[in-house]
Amino acid sequence: MYGLEAISTHNGWAMAVAGVVIVFAGLVVLSSTIAQLHKVLRLLNGGANGTEGVPASDPAMHHNLAESARQFRLISGRISESFPLPKLIELAELSGLPRPHSTINDLLKAGLIVPDGKGYFFWKQ
Amino acid sequence: MELFFQFLSNTGYYLADYRQLIMIVVGSFFLYLGTAKKYEPLLLVPIGFGILVGNVPFFKGFGLGIYENNSVLHYLYFGVTTGLYPSIVFLGLGAMTDFSSLLARPSLMLLGAAAQMGIFFTLLSALALGYLPKEAASIAIIGGADGPTSIFLCAKLAPHLIGPVAIAAYSYMALIPVIQPPIMRLLTSRQERLIRMPELREVSRQELVIFPVAALLLCCFLAPASIPLLGMFFFGNFLKECGVTERLAQTARTAIIDTATILLGLTVGASTQGDVFLTPKSVGIFVLGAVAFSIATASGVVFAKIMNLFLKEKINPLLGAAGVSAVPGSAREVHLVGQAEDPENFLLMHAMACNSSGVIGSAICAGILWSFMIGL
Repeated sequence: MYGLEAISTHNGWAMAVAGVVIVFAGLVVLSSTIAQLHKVLRLLNGGANGTEGVPASDPAMHHNLAESARQFRLISGRISESFPLPKLIELAELSGLPRPHSTINDLLKAGLIVPDGKGYFFWKQ
Repeated sequence: MELFFQFLSNTGYYLADYRQLIMIVVGSFFLYLGTAKKYEPLLLVPIGFGILVGNVPFFKGFGLGIYENNSVLHYLYFGVTTGLYPSIVFLGLGAMTDFSSLLARPSLMLLGAAAQMGIFFTLLSALALGYLPKEAASIAIIGGADGPTSIFLCAKLAPHLIGPVAIAAYSYMALIPVIQPPIMRLLTSRQERLIRMPELREVSRQELVIFPVAALLLCCFLAPASIPLLGMFFFGNFLKECGVTERLAQTARTAIIDTATILLGLTVGASTQGDVFLTPKSVGIFVLGAVAFSIATASGVVFAKIMNLFLKEKINPLLGAAGVSAVPGSAREVHLVGQAEDPENFLLMHAMACNSSGVIGSAICAGILWSFMIGL
């Protein structure tokens, strides 16, 4: 069987129309949802900063930072849970990690290392 | 002497069939395209070499061929026929995909939906040409321009067509630089190609983390048959974005996807044994695949133009061509065509948004088609 007859017999028209409608419906719902997502998050975050939370970093940067965090965490494991930054820098230098000052600065900016308010710092879990 | 002649009669030189020789030429051409021309080498090299492996003539019954139950190739092919490799590839794809551009401009997702029209147009064409519904659905999905999705659906609906469908899908993905630009230029004016897209807003980490969960639930509740693909895809993306499983995401986007791609490409290539591959049906699949891919590209571009009728801030209609899910090939091509008109027009990030929504759209289509065919 060929041609329009084959399409009709196998319910092709209905499948094609339903298929297009379902795909569009699915992606329209998804796009509408994610279009509202940042607004909902802003509300949930108190709406104060207006920047929709912490901006996402560059993936490569994110990966490098994660790797640095892993290395520094290993070092800081040798000192107590709260640690002074100079001590961490000293241990990093002893371990031969590159650019400890700027890396620690990045880790602080990313909120991976946080101050405890008493002059010491700890890793954010 | 008799032993010597018996040995000779078992060699590939004696058993060679013209169809196998044709396929060896095709495999060599794939290797040439992949290595010398650098057209999608990660796909064409394993497939091309697989075609050579699958078309070495052998004595049937030795357990050597991919279609012989106890052969090594048959066991490796298991990952194709069950849909295992495509799911694993989707895991890696998810771990590679950055949805920030899509989250910054969600309306571009509609272009990913529009480009799927090629699939349904081809479904009708294949039915009209006399293919059975399950075969027609397997051929139609080539229009999504997504190799793993095509293989997955074909494995479920028409396993006997996996070879030609996979080869067609991957060939057209590799030929994006040849197929898409003329269609884009034909359907757009220079003025339209010059439209610049505004800078995308910065997307928060919270959005990136929530997106894969929300998208998984919304899409898979709609088309549960797409769980094997979209479940893995969004899982991979969640690994990437959640911030605590970077090691797993790194493995998924490197070692895991590479292993799956090697085995997928090699076994799909090996499944193109001349005697089962070179049939009139295969020729039809190639023709329909080209139609599907071209219509998918065209429908994305046309839909973008239609959207412009209603939008205050016009979008560059070239972006519609990136609605197919050939990541990142079609996004790159859109960017290059845009830059050919205006070297300072950077469309890549916007095109990636359409491209990633195309991946989601084609996986949903696969789920829908599979659901339609249940019971047929």
